[in-house]
Amino acid sequence: MNAPVEERFVAQTLRKTVLQMAFNGSAVHIGCAFSIIELLAVLYRNHLRYPDNNPKDQNRDYLVLSKGHGVMAQYACMKELGWLTDQDITDYFSDGSRMMGLSDSRLTGLEVTSGSLGHGFSVGVGLALAAKIKKSGQRTYIIVGDGEINEGPIWEGALFASHHQLKDLMLFVDLNGFQAMGATDEVLKLGSVHEKLNSFGFEVMTINGHDEREIDLAICQLLNSTSGRPKAIVAETVKGKGVGFMENDNIWHYTRLNAETYANALDALTGG
Amino acid sequence: MRTAFSEALVRLAQQDPRVLLLTGDHGYALFDEFRKQSPKQYFNMGIAEQNMVGMAAGLAKAGFIPFVYGLSSFIPVRVLEQIKLDIAHDKHHVVLLGDGAGFVYSYLGTSHQSNEDIAITRVIPDLIVLSPADRFEQTLCMEWAYQARTSVYLRMGKSDRGDVHNTVPNALMGDILQVKPGKQNDLSFVATGSMVQTAMQLAIHHYPDATVWSVPTLKPINLAQVVNLCKNSSVVVTLEEHSVMGGLGSLVSEISAEHAPVRILRVGVNDCFSERCGSYEYLLREHKLDLPSVHERVRTFMLSV
Repeated sequence: MNAPVEERFVAQTLRKTVLQMAFNGSAVHIGCAFSIIELLAVLYRNHLRYPDNNPKDQNRDYLVLSKGHGVMAQYACMKELGWLTDQDITDYFSDGSRMMGLSDSRLTGLEVTSGSLGHGFSVGVGLALAAKIKKSGQRTYIIVGDGEINEGPIWEGALFASHHQLKDLMLFVDLNGFQAMGATDEVLKLGSVHEKLNSFGFEVMTINGHDEREIDLAICQLLNSTSGRPKAIVAETVKGKGVGFMENDNIWHYTRLNAETYANALDALTGG
Repeated sequence: MRTAFSEALVRLAQQDPRVLLLTGDHGYALFDEFRKQSPKQYFNMGIAEQNMVGMAAGLAKAGFIPFVYGLSSFIPVRVLEQIKLDIAHDKHHVVLLGDGAGFVYSYLGTSHQSNEDIAITRVIPDLIVLSPADRFEQTLCMEWAYQARTSVYLRMGKSDRGDVHNTVPNALMGDILQVKPGKQNDLSFVATGSMVQTAMQLAIHHYPDATVWSVPTLKPINLAQVVNLCKNSSVVVTLEEHSVMGGLGSLVSEISAEHAPVRILRVGVNDCFSERCGSYEYLLREHKLDLPSVHERVRTFMLSV
């Protein structure tokens, strides 16, 4: 049996699962997964409502991972939920696997197909509009990367969410400061994401995206808000968080683990 | 055709609250009745087609049936990746309506002319591609689109070229429709959309023994019917207000090459943009898609057979 909910989604365990997958599958995008571990842990543990633990329930909340590159972090959470098995983790990237290297909606538990960036957000805004029309009370949580918000549709969707006061939509920007080819400041300056979203009509908070208590408080505060505005949390994060030699080193967007780096990463994770 | 289109939309929205109409700030007077009858099912999404199509996927995922309206230069051409990834990949029941296809916007130039939309949508898995020729086919296609339970692109081109049917055809999606009988083993004209009328005129005035077929469904296609058509024709001429690459001409040629080889003349846009602007009729002449030009091309081709 799975552990009680309150004992699940331990960040260190989730990162270990990600490392296992990355090593077993010789997979990339470790850094992208590590920056959103705590966000996912708090969302899955405390906020996402899946009646009967059913990821297909029609009344579920939606978690839209628009930055599909972080999907290993979501797989790690889905293992905690019992939606994926130990074998799935072991067999990551084996021939015929349904668990792709970027989020794929055909895998139960994932809502959108992403990886081509700037797609999931619009789909999520559509889900939030649907919930508003149906008055279902479902919440839509969307995670985008800071590199991803280079994409135009993000800002199209932000205008729509604000114009239509989609108050049950909560956007998370994983502000880890890096995108594929370098630092976001060097590639295409974002300026203040907080101010940008605020000016687009969102109710915004900026927090430490690795402090679970702070994340939880921010989510609760925004959920309790009486404003009709869509909500946004700018999560200041560290790409590769949790393994010292990966932190802020963008090479872990692309690099595969070998036996040595895998062992070193596991050691670093457990403080060994 | 446009009346048939807007009437169908109004009717579908009234009979099914799941039907939504999303428009990318287009269709000024076209939706007046819809907005009056079903205001809560109408959304002007702004000039933001990518977000509109992505949102349509989310709405469909949550149980709605979005009809997404835009000009065919934008829906589907501008938003092809959203259609592929957000809509068709999940077989979402979204109906993409691309209006003004071909040279309808004859004065506005390349940005508003679309002769590549069939080619790019045909290659997307799980996407139905429809292209009605007259108001009766428009009504039929709207009903097919509503019943589809998967993703649909409905191409709407020049809408005032007159009827080629007397009533709504009794047909299944994928069927090719005979609009003028002819002699066995003679010439066959196979056309879609606005060019069905051209094929009819050509046959009536110049090739009375020719058979004329309308193809309102580019995908899926009734393979056996096309094979039979090729087997029973001396020459096949395809006609479309679309590139000769990737559209109806390609479709028929692909099937013929594999199953029933026959000489095929593909009449369409010959891989070029419009050089100048002018009336719709002028642009057809520029692209040699007007009746006299097509007649000349068919005549010359027949000499080479």
